[in-house]
Amino acid sequence: MPMRAMPMAVSIACVLATANAALANDTVRVASAQKGFWDTTILLYGDSAGIFKAEGLDLEITWTSGGAAPEQAVISGSVDLAAANGILGAVTAYAKGAPVRIVAAEATGVNDLFWYAKAESGLKSFSELAGKTVGFSSPGSSSNMVALALIEKAGVNAKPVPTGGAPATLTQVMSGQIDVGWAVPPLFFDLIDQGTLRIVGRGLDIPEMRDQTVRVFETNTDTLKNRRQVLVRFFRAYQKVLDWAYSEPKALEDFAADNKVSIDQARRARDEFYPKAALELAPVSNLDLTVKQAIDLKRLSAPLTPEQVKELIDIVYDPRRDK
Amino acid sequence: MAQSHVSSAPARRSVRAQRLTALVAFIAYWVVWELMARAGIFYEGVVPSSVAILRALYHILLDAALYRNFAVTAFEVLVAMAIGGGAGIAFGLLGGAVRVIGRAYEPYVYYLAPTPKIVFLPIVFLLFGVGVATKIVLGAISAFFPMAIATLAGVRTVKPVLLRVGHSFNLTPWQMALKIYLPALRAPVVTGLKLAFGFALIGVMLAEIKLSNIGLGFMAIEFYNHFQIAELYALLMLIFMVAAGVNALIDRLMPRD
Amino acid sequence: MRLLRSPALLGLATIAAVAGLMELLVAWGALPSYIFVRPSAVLLSIVGLFRDEELGWRLLQTLGATMAAAGLAAVSGVPIGWMIHRYRLFGEIFGNWLAALAAAPFILLYPLFLAVFGRGEPTIIAMAYVAALVAISLKTREGLASVPTVLRAVGAGFRLTQMQFFWKIEFRSAVPAIFSGIHLALVFALVNVVGIEFLIDYGGMGGLIADLADRYEVPSMYAAILFVVLVSVLFFWATERLERWLNPM
Repeated sequence: MPMRAMPMAVSIACVLATANAALANDTVRVASAQKGFWDTTILLYGDSAGIFKAEGLDLEITWTSGGAAPEQAVISGSVDLAAANGILGAVTAYAKGAPVRIVAAEATGVNDLFWYAKAESGLKSFSELAGKTVGFSSPGSSSNMVALALIEKAGVNAKPVPTGGAPATLTQVMSGQIDVGWAVPPLFFDLIDQGTLRIVGRGLDIPEMRDQTVRVFETNTDTLKNRRQVLVRFFRAYQKVLDWAYSEPKALEDFAADNKVSIDQARRARDEFYPKAALELAPVSNLDLTVKQAIDLKRLSAPLTPEQVKELIDIVYDPRRDK
Repeated sequence: MAQSHVSSAPARRSVRAQRLTALVAFIAYWVVWELMARAGIFYEGVVPSSVAILRALYHILLDAALYRNFAVTAFEVLVAMAIGGGAGIAFGLLGGAVRVIGRAYEPYVYYLAPTPKIVFLPIVFLLFGVGVATKIVLGAISAFFPMAIATLAGVRTVKPVLLRVGHSFNLTPWQMALKIYLPALRAPVVTGLKLAFGFALIGVMLAEIKLSNIGLGFMAIEFYNHFQIAELYALLMLIFMVAAGVNALIDRLMPRD
Repeated sequence: MRLLRSPALLGLATIAAVAGLMELLVAWGALPSYIFVRPSAVLLSIVGLFRDEELGWRLLQTLGATMAAAGLAAVSGVPIGWMIHRYRLFGEIFGNWLAALAAAPFILLYPLFLAVFGRGEPTIIAMAYVAALVAISLKTREGLASVPTVLRAVGAGFRLTQMQFFWKIEFRSAVPAIFSGIHLALVFALVNVVGIEFLIDYGGMGGLIADLADRYEVPSMYAAILFVVLVSVLFFWATERLERWLNPM
């Protein structure tokens, strides 16, 4: 290349590089729990459908086995968002000084959770579980809260036991290591339909939790301050994912394929256990009940003040309010 | 000649007998395994038959995910060994060469060595997050102790005459380390390397099992979580074979005296 | 200069200096307090762990599982080590497997143990037992195999029966190695018990760390980890002293 053309070439290269940088998508790092559930995995389906890319966002999703892992990932700053995090954990971490904020609801009510026992055990409801062991995923999770509520409502002396993920829980039930396991649909529908397992309790059986937000999206205060607009775009895209997942068949097909169930079973799981209203991004409801549960579990020593509540919950995108 | 013929024949029979015994023992283990798998003592699938395990092994080997996960774990283990092992060698050299430092800090290294390093994972995770750094740091912490102890012990066996030669040539501390200590420490460092590798592998994989979305540890716990027990056995068998292979390779670094 | 003359003092001074630096950096806000904790808060939290988290009971749980595993290993490992040494066929069948297990990353098998024994004490004790068994049986074999030739000659010279030879010469020569094996068995058992408790979030000191991490009780989590380290160090020191007391040679 002639020497006098060099400065021009360099200038063009610089302009192109700057333009590329401006056009490049923003990356959003998300830590989520329990891959495979409808409410957690529509994030992935929506990403595959290009809905986040249309908002100029590239997602990097890290799946965890639940518990406090997504939250600790946010606290450490290694991800931007913790998705499907138990609200109990979020409130506890905030109260203890962690730089976290709740920026959206993820699941309200506990329609999805159910508990089952082997049909041959003869167990039919929680009232028969005196002295029995009842599984839940991990301490502080929504399954933990519901299991405790079901046991308390039944007035029995059953022992809640953390059993990890739903498939691992099934192993423990079937091998007799625990009496009652937890799951979400469409897991084990085939075993229930065959009569091998029997549902003994559901989240729906706790009326006071029907309007309680149990899982949330959480972020770090630094991310909230420096990348708020990126989060707004993320949740705008997420709302579009919700609308798409409940109107188009593709998400349902992916869900059925991942869980190795029929489309009908997948549709039954979605429509019966995950009504769209339960996955709305706002509001974060019935925080009072959450705080009471946290105090009962000794995760909090005192209720949150109104100022603390206002600081903790900062809904960055409310589809009822923002467009 | 007759004497050598007499002495080698029993040796050949002994080797043949050993191999036959090993073969019979392997078959016996296999029979016991199959009986356990088919006896119905355990919940179906918890002890899968060897046929199921071999079939699972075949499918795993054909799955590109195995190689992706293997590459990540291998990278994490290598970096962990470089950092932890390197720090261990440095500590061992310093502690061995400067007596007061060795006597001041060796007890801490010696008594902290048996502590289960996995308990540090929550702190490491808070500091380094969900990426590879957490796994590498835990692997490095695990690798440091055996390497430090082996190197320290080895430094104390370096012949004093070699040290005097180095001093008489006015070698700098760095030159002493490279030209005198390290060549003389080949055997203990290789032993330390074997132990460090084993501990680094355990540290990295346990961190992947506890929280990761890639790596052989993650692959193993996913198999468990989805009750793919035959696949889990097959993967663990593969990992053990790779670990044994790496140990054999490291053994080749041993000086032939 | 006085520090350099006293290595023990130098070691302690270093720890004190690091702790002091952490204390200041966290107090000044130079290190984030939601990740780093002041050492003074950690030490105070240990008291809280006994009061609020039943640390005493959890310590007993962990030590109980350790003793159960190591005890079972000692009772079965010494005879296994003897049989591997005494009967060549047995040694060829089982000896190599034990040596392979000693070199393998055995703890990675815990998901398999979970599937077989379930999430609880049986898995914890089973895994700790296998780790301890390997150590003690290999050490027993090593001890029995290293009886000095002169003692063998003495035994032959006195025309001892096999049983007499075993009890009066072989076993007594192997005692130091057996005690060393018991020491290793105890240490390996403790390491595995705490590790598995942590991994499966179940009871004992390891389960407490996992629980505190889940609840984001950061000072208490650090305190629990420090406590586990202290117990591990003390346990190792105590078993070493026990080994030396049992075997003054």
